[in-house]
Amino acid sequence: MSETCIISTTNLNLWYHEKHALQSVSMRIPKKKVTALIGPSGCGKSTLLRCFNRLNDLIDHVKISGEITLDNESINAASTDVVTLRKKVGMVFQKPNPFPKSIYENVAYGPRVHGIRDKAELDTIVEQSLRHAAIWDEVKERLNDSALGLSGGQQQRLCIARTLAVEPEVILMDEPCSALDPIATAKIENLIERLKEDYTVIIVTHNMQQAARVSDYTGFMYLGKLIECGKTGQIFEHPKEELTENYITGRFG
Amino acid sequence: MNVTKKTGSAVTASSGTARLSFLKEQSIKTVFFFTAFFAVIVVSFILLFLLRDGYPIFSQVGILSFLLGPDWAPTAVVLLYGIFPLIVGTLLVTIGAMVFAVPLSIGCAIYLSELASPRTKKYLKPAVELLAGIPSVVYGFFGLIVLTNFIRVSFDIPTGETWLAASVLLGIMALPTIISVSEDAISSVPHEYKEGSLAIGATRWQTISRVLVPAALSGIAAAVILGIGRVVGETMAVLMVAGNAAIIPEPIWNNLSPLRTLTATFGIEMGEVSVGSEHYNALFGIAVILLVITLIINLSAVAILRHLKEGRAQGPARKPLISSATKESLGRFAEIIGIAVLLIFLLAAAPWWLAALVLLGAGAWYFGRDRLSENHIQTIAFGLIGLATVIVLAILVIILQDIVVHGLPALSWEFLTQPPKDLGRAGGIFPAIIGTLYLVLGAIAIALPLGVGAAIYLVEYTREGRITRLIRTGVDLLNGTPSIVFGLFGFAFIVLYLNVGVSLLAGQVTLALMVLPTVIRTTEESLKNIPQSLREGSLALGATRWQTISRVVLPPAVPGIVTGAILSIGRAAGETAPIMFTAVVFSSRFLPTSELQPVMALPYHLFILATNVPGASTNKYGTALVLLLLVIGFYSVAIFVRTHFQKKTRG
Repeated sequence: MSETCIISTTNLNLWYHEKHALQSVSMRIPKKKVTALIGPSGCGKSTLLRCFNRLNDLIDHVKISGEITLDNESINAASTDVVTLRKKVGMVFQKPNPFPKSIYENVAYGPRVHGIRDKAELDTIVEQSLRHAAIWDEVKERLNDSALGLSGGQQQRLCIARTLAVEPEVILMDEPCSALDPIATAKIENLIERLKEDYTVIIVTHNMQQAARVSDYTGFMYLGKLIECGKTGQIFEHPKEELTENYITGRFG
Repeated sequence: MNVTKKTGSAVTASSGTARLSFLKEQSIKTVFFFTAFFAVIVVSFILLFLLRDGYPIFSQVGILSFLLGPDWAPTAVVLLYGIFPLIVGTLLVTIGAMVFAVPLSIGCAIYLSELASPRTKKYLKPAVELLAGIPSVVYGFFGLIVLTNFIRVSFDIPTGETWLAASVLLGIMALPTIISVSEDAISSVPHEYKEGSLAIGATRWQTISRVLVPAALSGIAAAVILGIGRVVGETMAVLMVAGNAAIIPEPIWNNLSPLRTLTATFGIEMGEVSVGSEHYNALFGIAVILLVITLIINLSAVAILRHLKEGRAQGPARKPLISSATKESLGRFAEIIGIAVLLIFLLAAAPWWLAALVLLGAGAWYFGRDRLSENHIQTIAFGLIGLATVIVLAILVIILQDIVVHGLPALSWEFLTQPPKDLGRAGGIFPAIIGTLYLVLGAIAIALPLGVGAAIYLVEYTREGRITRLIRTGVDLLNGTPSIVFGLFGFAFIVLYLNVGVSLLAGQVTLALMVLPTVIRTTEESLKNIPQSLREGSLALGATRWQTISRVVLPPAVPGIVTGAILSIGRAAGETAPIMFTAVVFSSRFLPTSELQPVMALPYHLFILATNVPGASTNKYGTALVLLLLVIGFYSVAIFVRTHFQKKTRG
C-alpha cells in the first residue's frame, strides 16, 4: 500500500480462555480511508476491531501477544494510557447505545469528561458534531429530549456524533447498520463516505455489498486469520486466495 | 348433524371421564385461588383488627391531637396520649441511620458491581448476606453491650443509650438491604452504556459517576427507601439501645439525647397494659400509624422497582418515570437537603475532629479540583469506595468476633441440654432451643403449603390482570408490614379474639403469616425459571394443567422452593417481636406438651437476659452465639441447596 498508514499490527495473537481467537494477524490500516473487515461470524473481525481501542480489556481471561501501533506508538504496552488512546480511537457499536440522557448531554458527554466546561464552547461542539453526523436538522428543535426517544437510525447517528465530539483520529464501527432498516442504513453509508475526508474509518460488516460500497480497502478474515487484505476493488474482483473468492461468491458464509 | 356429533364426541372423548377430570381440574384451581387470596385476607384482617382496637383512641383524643400531641404519658396521673415525640424519634433515628448507611452502602455497592474481581465478589457477597442474616435481637444485644458502652466512654456521658447509638445500629442493619438492591441496580445497567462511555475515552470513574450511577439512580433510590422501611419497622434493636425516653431531643440535633421510636413503645408497654383500656387502644392507634407509614414507604419502593423491571422488558425506547428536567431539579433539591443535614450534623453533633476533617476535605476538594487530573480524581474516588467496603466488612468482623469470643466459653454440653436456673444466670437453654425449633417448624408447616399454592396460582393459572394485581399488592403489603405489627395482630386476633391464648400455636401462626410473602416470592421465582417450552411440551401431549404442573413444572422447581423455605425458617428463628406477645414465656423448666402451651424461645431469652437480668454475662453471650449459629446454619444450608442444585440442573 502506498498510503501512509495509521494503525498497524504485526503478528497479533489473542487468546480468549483456550480459544486462539486471532492468529498472527499483520495488517496495515491506511490513514483517512475506509477499511472494511469482512468474514463469516466468529472469524475474529470484531475482536480485532476491539484491539484497536483496547476494549478487550473489559473482558476477563483475554491474553494478547504481538504488536499493535497507532502512529508508531504501541497500543498494547502496559504504559499506554487507555483513556488517551480511546480519545484518539472512537467507536460506534453494533446496537445503538445512547446514554439515558438528553440528546445534548449525550454529545456533550465526551467533551465534558475531557475537561471542557464552557457552555458556549460545548454548544458549538454539540452543533458541529450533530451537523457532521447529518442529524442536526432532525434534532435541533429537541436537544433536551431524551435520546432514547429517537428512532434506531437516529440513535446510531447520534452515537456517531457523540464519537465525533471527542475529535478522534480513527473511528471504529462494529456492524453499525446491522440493527437498522435499509433507509437508515443508506444514511449511515453516505455519512461514512463523508467522514473519510477527516477521519480514518474501520468498519466491520457482515454485508459484502456494504463493504464494496463504502470501503477503499478490505480485509477478509477467516477462523482468526487475516486471509487477504488489499484495495476493495481488487479483493472483490480479483481475489488472490481461493478462500476469499469462495466467500465473496457466496460458496460459504 | 351426524357429522357434528361425531366430531364433538371425538374431541370430548368419553364424556364421563372427561367431565370428572374437568371437575378435578376446576377444584384444584379453586383451591390454589384461595391460597393465593389468603394474603389479601390476612392484610385486610390485620388492618381490621388494628383499626378495631385503635379506633377508640382516635375518636376519643381526636386524630390530630393524637398525632401532634407533645406528651406521651399513658400511665401518669393526667393521662396524655400525644405521639408527636415518638414520630419525631422515629424520624430522627431514620435520618441518622441513613446519614451513616447510605454513603457506606453505595460505596460498597459500586465496589461490588464495578471494581471487585469475580473472586473477591464471590467472598464479599456472602459476607453482605451474612450481615443481613444476623437476627435483630443479636444486633440489639451487641449494641447494648459494645456500642452504647463505646459511645458512653468516648463522649464521656452517663449513658450511651442514645439517638446516636440507635442510628448507628439501625444504619448497620440497613446496610445489607441498600447494598444488595443498589448493587443489583448498578449491575443491570446495560453493558452498552459502559462500553459507549469507555470508548469515548472516559475514565472508569467518569463512567461510573456520570453514566452508570445516574442510569441506576431510581434503583438506588428504591434501595434507600427499602432501607428506610427496614429502619422504621425495626423494634428489638432500637428498643435495646435508644434509651426510650419519650422526649424530643433538646436541642433537636442533640444526637446524644435518648429518644423513643413508635416501635419501641410496643416493646416497652405492651407487656403491662391491661387489655381494652384507653392505653391499650392508644398502642393500637400507634400500630395503625406505623403500619400506614411503612406501607407507604414499601409500596413506593416496590412501585419504582416494578416500573424499572417492566421498562427493561420493553426495551430502552420508553418514557422515563420522571422527565430528565424534573429529575435534575429533584437531584439538586436532594443534594441541598443532604448537604444541610450533614452540615447540621457536623457542626452540632459530631466530635470536633470529625467535623474539622470533613470540612477540610470538602475545602480541599472545592479549591483543588481543577488542579487534579482525572486520574488523580479516580484514585481518590476508588480509595473512598474501597474504604467504605473495608468499613462494612470491619463492622461484620467486629460483631462476629465479639459474640464468638465471648460466647464460646459458655458453650458446653450442659448449656445446650439443661433448663435454665437462677433466672438464666446459670444452667442451660435447652427449652429455648427446642421452643424455637417448634416455633419455626410449625410456622413453615403452615406457610409452605399456603405460599406454594399461592405462587402456583399466580404463575401457572392466571394471566396478569386485576385479580393478580390485587393479590400481588396483598403480598407486597404483607412483606412490608413490620414484624412487631404481626405480633400485635397475633395478640389481638389469635390470642384474644380466637381465644387461643399465649401459646405455641399462636406463635407459629403469627410467624407463618410473617414469612408467607417470602415463601410466595421465592416459589414464584423458581416457577418462572422453568422454561415455557417444558409446559408446552407436556400440554401438547394431552396432559392436563395439573398433570403438567405436578409432574413437569414442580419437580425441577423443588430446590428453589426448599431454599426459600429454609431462608424463611432462618428469618423466623431470629425474630422476637412477633412471638413476644403471642407465644413465649421467659422461663419454663419443661418442654411444652401441647400446642396450646407457651414456650421459651432463643431470641426472647436473649432479649430478657440482656435487658432484665443483671449478671448473666456468660450465658447472654452463649445464647447470642447459639442463636447466631442456628440462624447462620439455616442460611448456609439454604445457600448450599441453591448452589448445589443450580450446578446439577445446569449440567
